[in-house]
Amino acid sequence: MNILVFTKRVPATQEEELRLINDGKDVDFSKLPFKVNDWDNYAVEEAVKIVEKGGGAVTAVSIGDTESDEVLRRAIAMGAKDGFLVEVDQVLHDPFARGALIRNFIQKENVPFDAIFTGVQSEDDQFASVGGILAALLKLPYVSMVIGIDSVEKDHMVVRRELEGGLQERVRVTTPCVISIQSGINEPRYVSIMGIRKASKVERKSFKGKEYDAGKEAHIELVKWVYPPKKGGAQMLGGELGDICKKLMEILKEKGVYQ
Amino acid sequence: MSYALIVAEARRGIFEERNLDSIGICTLLGKETVMLLPDGQYSFNEKLVDSIIKVKAGEEVFLNPLNMAAIIEKVSETRGRPDFIVFTHSSSGAESAAYAAGLFGFPIITDVSGCDKERGVFFKSYYSDKLFGEFKTTGDATSVLTVRSGSFKEFAAEKAAAPREEVIEGVTVSDSRTFVEYVEEEKTDIDITKADFLLSVGRGVGNKDEIPAYEELAGLLKAVISGSRPVIDKMWLPKARQVGTSGKTVKPKVYLAMGISGAFQHIAGMKDADCIIAINKDAEAPIFQYAHYGIVGDMHKVRDALKGIVKG
Ligand SMILES: Cc1cc2nc3c(=O)[nH]c(=O)nc-3n(C[C@H](O)[C@H](O)[C@H](O)COP(=O)(O)OP(=O)(O)OC[C@H]3O[C@@H](n4cnc5c(N)ncnc54)[C@H](O)[C@@H]3O)c2cc1C
Repeated sequence: MNILVFTKRVPATQEEELRLINDGKDVDFSKLPFKVNDWDNYAVEEAVKIVEKGGGAVTAVSIGDTESDEVLRRAIAMGAKDGFLVEVDQVLHDPFARGALIRNFIQKENVPFDAIFTGVQSEDDQFASVGGILAALLKLPYVSMVIGIDSVEKDHMVVRRELEGGLQERVRVTTPCVISIQSGINEPRYVSIMGIRKASKVERKSFKGKEYDAGKEAHIELVKWVYPPKKGGAQMLGGELGDICKKLMEILKEKGVYQ
Repeated sequence: MSYALIVAEARRGIFEERNLDSIGICTLLGKETVMLLPDGQYSFNEKLVDSIIKVKAGEEVFLNPLNMAAIIEKVSETRGRPDFIVFTHSSSGAESAAYAAGLFGFPIITDVSGCDKERGVFFKSYYSDKLFGEFKTTGDATSVLTVRSGSFKEFAAEKAAAPREEVIEGVTVSDSRTFVEYVEEEKTDIDITKADFLLSVGRGVGNKDEIPAYEELAGLLKAVISGSRPVIDKMWLPKARQVGTSGKTVKPKVYLAMGISGAFQHIAGMKDADCIIAINKDAEAPIFQYAHYGIVGDMHKVRDALKGIVKG
């Protein structure tokens, strides 16, 4: 089975303060570290596991600036055979524009595939929709939030997708198809710096995004960024660590959960 | 007639509470509301919508984006194109919304948690709620929205008249993707939904080797240990201990969140705790917006200091 996996380079914002610049038109990323989108890591791992078992090849594709080569190298170190970079000089906020660009790229370059995997969502924009848009544009069946692939046959797969509250749905889907992979489906393998260095020797292909522009006009526009509205907010406990912890213990006693 | 089409979610006979947010945003936008539901008896305040269209097919048909697109197409043929198609930002809502937007070429904004009707902008979370993007659609095509649970239900208001109800049938069901069955979660010994005091650890815990020390602290404090999704995904704690939309919804007396950033999928599962205490080394972590008490600091140091106090 030939599997295309989309993988994205995103800023690691969990422990960082985000600063707005140009009146909220931009975010200052200059001091932020970047990483592979968490969900894509699971998607690459799942694709690699499938081909290791049943044959075929994994091709990692990234849309972004030249720095995104980093996530392709990582995917190759995990077991992907090829890495394709579709280079764009501007972030595409609109998931429709992204889906259309990918469709155009796949069709124009005749990229062969039996399945396309994406992560459930990107950590940065959380749209959770590129996979679904792409599936519809390619007229393929789509399954999202896939947390288990139970069987891979010649013409179909049986997968489990997550619903809310611990409930799952088992689904049969014919191939070719588009699937978005949910975290926790596997344990992504560890990649060493050595492994990534070795992967650098595998040739990655680069394509100019401009070549695939047809019909990818954005349908939505980012007016600006704003800080989220402040809610009540917590009463912060300050002081020395020992004092803070004593206060915390008092709260636990007051709430009746600790005597 | 300009109207908003709401794709409601019903699962195993239950009208999902989050549909109220879809109704709420349509009311806020001042649209006639037409709600799609599977054919069946669902208990909710029907006066909140103008019309209900029951689709003569099982609930499973609503779980499939290909079928959903066919249903939307059928409704549009008779009623004309809606101004909005509104889904909940849930597993199936997000799935069907994306597919429909792609198929019909409609603009899509997902995970909408606010809107400014006058300026025509919708607010959508970025970077786990650290920022919001203000989005506008271009052109006048139908807009597809998925709405965040808990964001708009307060705007849902009763209509003067009872809703008109109609039934549609003859929807083509896709055979390229088919429902096989529901799969239930395994039952386990500890039920975190019953605990009065939850000590919950997030990705900030760092690595698996740190977990036993938190289990020990939980034991000393007579708390039950739970976690955010990354901790469960890595199998550092069992699945039954996951708090959040795809885990458990909990309502303890005290929820002590250590090293958890406060993504909405997590918040949705614990926001109703009587008292939320958050410990995070990032003073800007969104969880502090929901917590009653906050400590900015290293969770491991707090853990060790608490142990010291309890052990005396
Ligand atoms: C469909 C879907 C369903 C989901 N369902 C759930 C769900 O049910 N439950 C859930 O939790 N998530 C769920 N998620 C995932 C969710 O979006 C977040 O990814 C997740 O909640 C983040 O977990 P976290 O806060 O532990 O990790 P992160 O967001 O990585 O945050 C870690 C935090 O720890 C802090 N930290 C780091 N080191 C330390 C230290 N030494 N001391 C103190 N603080 C420290 C950091 O500042 C940061 O704020 C779901 C996502 C999707 C798309």
